[in-house]
Amino acid sequence: MTETQPKVLVVDDAATVRMYHSTLLTEAGFEIHEAANGLEAVEAALGTAFDLFVVDVNMPKMNGYTCVETLRSETVGTPAPVIMISTEDRPGDADRAYAAGANLYLVKPVVPARLVRISRMLTGRGVAA
Amino acid sequence: MPLELGEGTATLIGVVTVDEVEELAGWLRATTRPKVNLRRCNHLHTGAFQALLLFRPKVSAAPTDSFLAERVLPLLARQGSEPP
Amino acid sequence: MNPLLAQFLAEAADLLTQVDEGLLQLERTPGDPELVNEVFRAAHTFKGSSGLFDFPELTKLTHAAEDLLDAVRAGELPLDSGMTDDLLATFDLIRGWLAYVTTEERLPSTAGADAASLIVRLRAPIGGEVVREAPTLSGPQAGDVAPAWLAYFDEEWLAETAAWLRTTSSQMRFIRYAPDSGCFFRAEDPLHLIRQVPALDRLNVIEPVEWPEAADYDEYACLVAFVCATRAGMGEIQYLFRYVVDQFELVDLDGDAIQRYLSGEIEIEVEPESGTAEKQDQKPSSSTDPALLADARAVLAASLKALALNPTNTCHLISLAKAITYAAHAFGDPVEIQEPDVVTLTATVTRLLGDTAEAVEDPVRTVVPLVAADEAPAAERRADDPGGQVGSRILKVDQEKVDHLMELVGELNVAKNGLTFLAGAAEEEFGSRALARRIKDQYSGLHRIAEELQASVMDIRMLPLSVAFSRFPRLVRDLSRRLGKNIELVLEGEDTMADKDVIEALADPLVHLVRNSLDHGIETSDERLASGKPTTARITLTAVADGDAVIVEIADDGRGVDPARVRRKAYEKGLISEEELETLSDVDAVDLVFRPGFSTAEQISDLSGRGVGMDAVRASVEKLGGTVTMRSELGIGTSTRLRLPLSMAVTQVMVVSVAGQRFGIPVDLVVETVRVPVDEMNRVLHQDVVVLRGEVIPVLDLARALDMPWIPDDNRDRAILIANVGGQRVGLLVEQFHREVDVILKPMEGLLAYADEFSGTALLGDGLVLLVLNMKEVLGLAARVG
Repeated sequence: MTETQPKVLVVDDAATVRMYHSTLLTEAGFEIHEAANGLEAVEAALGTAFDLFVVDVNMPKMNGYTCVETLRSETVGTPAPVIMISTEDRPGDADRAYAAGANLYLVKPVVPARLVRISRMLTGRGVAA
Repeated sequence: MPLELGEGTATLIGVVTVDEVEELAGWLRATTRPKVNLRRCNHLHTGAFQALLLFRPKVSAAPTDSFLAERVLPLLARQGSEPP
Repeated sequence: MNPLLAQFLAEAADLLTQVDEGLLQLERTPGDPELVNEVFRAAHTFKGSSGLFDFPELTKLTHAAEDLLDAVRAGELPLDSGMTDDLLATFDLIRGWLAYVTTEERLPSTAGADAASLIVRLRAPIGGEVVREAPTLSGPQAGDVAPAWLAYFDEEWLAETAAWLRTTSSQMRFIRYAPDSGCFFRAEDPLHLIRQVPALDRLNVIEPVEWPEAADYDEYACLVAFVCATRAGMGEIQYLFRYVVDQFELVDLDGDAIQRYLSGEIEIEVEPESGTAEKQDQKPSSSTDPALLADARAVLAASLKALALNPTNTCHLISLAKAITYAAHAFGDPVEIQEPDVVTLTATVTRLLGDTAEAVEDPVRTVVPLVAADEAPAAERRADDPGGQVGSRILKVDQEKVDHLMELVGELNVAKNGLTFLAGAAEEEFGSRALARRIKDQYSGLHRIAEELQASVMDIRMLPLSVAFSRFPRLVRDLSRRLGKNIELVLEGEDTMADKDVIEALADPLVHLVRNSLDHGIETSDERLASGKPTTARITLTAVADGDAVIVEIADDGRGVDPARVRRKAYEKGLISEEELETLSDVDAVDLVFRPGFSTAEQISDLSGRGVGMDAVRASVEKLGGTVTMRSELGIGTSTRLRLPLSMAVTQVMVVSVAGQRFGIPVDLVVETVRVPVDEMNRVLHQDVVVLRGEVIPVLDLARALDMPWIPDDNRDRAILIANVGGQRVGLLVEQFHREVDVILKPMEGLLAYADEFSGTALLGDGLVLLVLNMKEVLGLAARVG
């Protein structure tokens, strides 16, 4: 079966976290692109049609909420699923994520297998038919 | 050469890889009361380990490698499997 | 080291520098919101990354620092210098830990104790200890229920472990790894993987219930499984086993969970099975993977929330339709959504959730047990959050690689120089001038390329002086507080570039000079007030490029050096004669402080008085091929100027030989080479001298200085190299002059390390090792040999 690899944009300002998520998803068969903040993510999304976004909340230059809002706005207009991953969970953060346009809000650390599972599900892969 | 197969004793040297598993298993199968010398063995492929576990040769010399000596050797020395 | 940890250490180094710099700037411009935010950001990012590893103390400590910074950021309290001290101490401690982690891959065992008091101090201004653990990767499973396969561990050991874990409120990770039978064909070696598990505490093998007959035994089918117990972190384990996630099971157990297992409180649904072909699923489940079902449910629940919170954005609705469709698919209950409008979607989700689940769980809470929700200050983060400099287009290269490249360039230079020897040989030995010329042509082509290559590699090695300066804000701050002096540090020309070796070598002399200024140069506030100076003293560090040299100046507006006192002191110590005491100019008198054995400090303070004097500074700078000069005006201040070569990677040396042995002399020192007829040599007071253009220059015999067997031939002119050493002209009698060559100077090593008369060795084109003379020492030797 020759499928094209789903393209995932991993957005996180912490290089180590970025590497962690990227390694996991690359090994799970995704094509990974990286961005270090919301602004870079928006720029990347303008040039590439991604199948999934994995977005950190607290980032410099443009935070995760604004980033996701922009992804969903007319400027970018992407209908791809968005997973937001936050370092800490404060009351209301989940609501802000969903209001911004996220499809799933998770709190770090996300168990690797779960991240892979959810990423596969949200890109329509790996779900045994 | 990771395997030196003698009359009754096999000497395992360095890293025993999956490539040596068949030869080792064949030797174990064919040898009555086999002995293995693990002193200079640095790593045992799981397949080799499994063969030793099945045929239970006598270990004539313990490995110097600490993982093998501390973790793996006790498993080989143990009498039988012991699921509770 | 695994690449993830290596990445973390590299990232951490950058972040710690940002934090340090930010904190120091904050003291100067207190309350600058951008600065506060920058520091907070760096600390936050650091904590985020640290959470991937099992460094609970590290995460806890950073978390405390981050909370304090967050309160400052929110304007709840101003940052005072006590807090800054604590924060700096925190990040110093962390830096120390990371150095330990670099070699040991774990935190030092004292980490918990070291962190505890700092955490209390950090938390004090924000209302004391908060019982709020930062989640680590172990979060989701912490306090997992003991699985049935614990039976494969020795019960006595389990009991002991449970007791220990309870006493220390800690946890241990248990792994069950059941490789599938075909795993050898995928080049997997389970035992090798287990070997890599850090801090392995117990390992046991699960044998098949029934082994096949020896004749039927297939040695390429993996029939065994393993269980192990380890203190390694969840993140580490998951990273290690990432290729075999479907074959292994991991639980994080505390003492209670194990105890409950031992006392039979948990019902064991499944008997431990032989770990052969079966898959890992031990949890009772429907036909599908229960984890996947849970995830699908989480996605649906999230969709429901999202529909309520953002019901209008079309893109969002389409994405929700997608997510819902996929989740439904995972349930084995495919749906088709024609119109992605709020009503249809909501109805679909509600139906799916109603059909499938027990209680719908909060999607977040299914993931991670929630941290105690304390009053969180409104998470108002602006879209234009200023901060971090992530994402610049800079390639970070391991220093070793550049060093290696530089070495290769050096070797290329050496090989290139070999061609000139070859050209010489072609002409002299084989009498072929044409061949010699062609070789020389080749040489010049190669020479040009080698020079360009060298220039670009050198350029890579160039670092801004700010690297050398960066430690001083902290140093000056700490020392001035200890000495009770008010000091403002001004840095200028930090952008000036120099070779990294120069910058590294500059570090110690600079620290010494700055400490010296702080300690001896700068007066106390009272003294300053009395002499009509502003109470805040100023130390200026300036760097400027000057041709192929860089000049670094350390200037203070302190009390200055008293030439009269220096003279007197030098005289008392026997460093100068009575005549010099009278005649020495003020400028020359100030220079006396660089003489070995001179120290102006009345009492040795704990700062600079560690037996390292200004003479050591001068020696180390001169070793780099630089010079140090000091100017001072009594009562006004002192400035010390270091002049260093921009790069010390390549040195031009003049090759001379004596008794058949070749030596190099740095070209910088060579004034000229002369041949003097024997009868023009003179002797003055047992000292050979030569008179050049009316100047009497002492001539030293290199062979005698180095104790080499060579007597000059009386029938030949004397070959004398005139060098400028420490401002004085000296002649060096040698046997023969050779050419000048570019060499990569390597420091003396091994047996020769103590041979002070040489400053280093270099490889010549013909493969011979050249000893490069340390002229100052050679002169000293010659004087002693007399």
